[in-house]
Amino acid sequence: MSLEISRLVKAYGPIRVTDDVSFTVPAGGLVGLIGPNGAGKSTLFSLVTGFLAPDSGSVSLDGRSLDRTGPAERARRGLVRTFQVPREFSHLTVRDNLMAAAPGQAGETLGALFLLPGRVRREEEALRRRVEEMMAFLKLDRVAEVPAGNLSGGQKKLVELGRALMTGARTILLDEPFAGVNPVLIEEISARVRELNARGIGFLVIEHDLAALSRLVTTLHVLDRGRLIAGGPPAAVLADPAVRDAYLGGAS
Amino acid sequence: MEAYLLAIAIFVAIFTLLTLGLNLQYGLTGLTNFGLVGFFGIGAYASAILTTHGYPVVAGFAAGAALAVIAAWPIGLVALRLRDDYFAIATLGLSEVVRVAIISEKELTAGVQGIPGIPRLFAVLESRTWQPLLLLAVLVAANLGVVLVMRRIARSPFGRVIGAIRDNEEAVRALGKDPARFKTQVLMVGAGLSAVAGSFYAHYVGYVTPDQITPLVTFQIWMAMILGGTGRISGAVLGTLLLMLLIEGARFLPDLLPFVSSTAMAELRVFVVGLALVLFTVYRPQGLMGEVARR
Ligand SMILES: Nc1ncnc2c1ncn2[C@@H]1O[C@H](COP(=O)(O)OP(=O)(O)O)[C@@H](O)[C@H]1O
Ligand SMILES: [Mg+2]
Repeated sequence: MSLEISRLVKAYGPIRVTDDVSFTVPAGGLVGLIGPNGAGKSTLFSLVTGFLAPDSGSVSLDGRSLDRTGPAERARRGLVRTFQVPREFSHLTVRDNLMAAAPGQAGETLGALFLLPGRVRREEEALRRRVEEMMAFLKLDRVAEVPAGNLSGGQKKLVELGRALMTGARTILLDEPFAGVNPVLIEEISARVRELNARGIGFLVIEHDLAALSRLVTTLHVLDRGRLIAGGPPAAVLADPAVRDAYLGGAS
Repeated sequence: MEAYLLAIAIFVAIFTLLTLGLNLQYGLTGLTNFGLVGFFGIGAYASAILTTHGYPVVAGFAAGAALAVIAAWPIGLVALRLRDDYFAIATLGLSEVVRVAIISEKELTAGVQGIPGIPRLFAVLESRTWQPLLLLAVLVAANLGVVLVMRRIARSPFGRVIGAIRDNEEAVRALGKDPARFKTQVLMVGAGLSAVAGSFYAHYVGYVTPDQITPLVTFQIWMAMILGGTGRISGAVLGTLLLMLLIEGARFLPDLLPFVSSTAMAELRVFVVGLALVLFTVYRPQGLMGEVARR
């Protein structure tokens, strides 16, 4: 499933937070997006997933325009994002956070809940097993019964990731998935992302851990003050003087 | 004294239905419905009008609940696009619209005079002393049924999603689910339940007037829910009971303080109830039944 981002512009007052941004995440692609703080990366995610409306430009999935659809519809079509600042369901347990992300549960309609209790129970059991596996993989199994609001920052990021994976999306946008996650787990998550990618799921990943990101993705795009300034294989992009300038400029 | 206690028990049982409905809406879903009493009023007046025109009691209950559910649907569609605080104000406004409509639709509702002579439930047994007991038993059974349904909802996939909506609506959307669909359904269930409570109330009190459906009722139900513990189904029952005990207990103040004038006493009663609530929320903010919104 290929995601085409075409000439997206979003301005707050005189400032163009994204300025004519275009690129494609090919079907089954593994693409990174970097840039200094405030470059507009998270805003771009919101534009792509329908949480913000662009001033101009468009987004399409496999050639079908998404411009008139909201975030929930885009997610149902297989385009799902995570948030930089985790939006865990704080009063729900970790297990329930992940279970809530599964699509098409009969028990989510009141009719089926009371008329088809057998079916609801069977679906719940099957889903529960899938969630146990996901929690084991993300090392969340020990906190399965803990309300997600009580987790550490890194664990919340893992809940975000786990929920996105539970949706069965075909293209997943991860906003700084490694922030606060311990290094060993970062490598394991990267391995899992590669594995999912090998099965055809496309990823677009924002990440500040450039080393981890360049090992993961095959293509890297660089955003600076709303504009794309470079794109290509990670090694070449990171060697680009313009990219170095942007980062040094951002740091000064 | 027995009759008095029985009457209190019946009121508690009627209002517990409302508290359970609010708990579903606010406690479990995070919907700030400040217009509960509007749906309660629809139920009360549907029963009053139909049964005083010779229709059976069941028709009043059914019509009230159906009307309330139907009324909740467009509210869901329109009002749920509002931010939480505007939603609260919108629902409060709508309940006032219901009251004003009742006052002005004089032919149907008799306006401010209200409708007297609503038949009691189980009126054929009127002469028997156990008639109110039978009513109480029916109400307790109804409450039990509602508690079971609420439990089933709270512990289901549906309950999981409404809990997620309460915690973070945007994230629910990001996962491909429409909060509006869930909220509308919750609002409709809450509306139907409030109308049923209204029908019971009309039959028990025997008359309806617009004065019975002021926002004060809504806020008392909010107090009951908070006292019991927001999000706790068992809390809805105990909170309603505690609130009623506070309000009724304050009635005995005149006996304790005979030197206070009766107008000052009316204010003092409100003050005492309010003070008790403040103290309670300061010293037990999680309510009788514990932590907020844990299932
Ligand atoms: N609602 C808003 N109003 C005004 N400016 C905003 C708003 N949201 C984001 N911005 C600005 O847009 C820029 C890009 O933000 P963001 O997309 O979060 O950057 P990044 O994720 O690359 O760090 C920042 O300068 C931020 O201050
Ligand atoms: Mg960001």
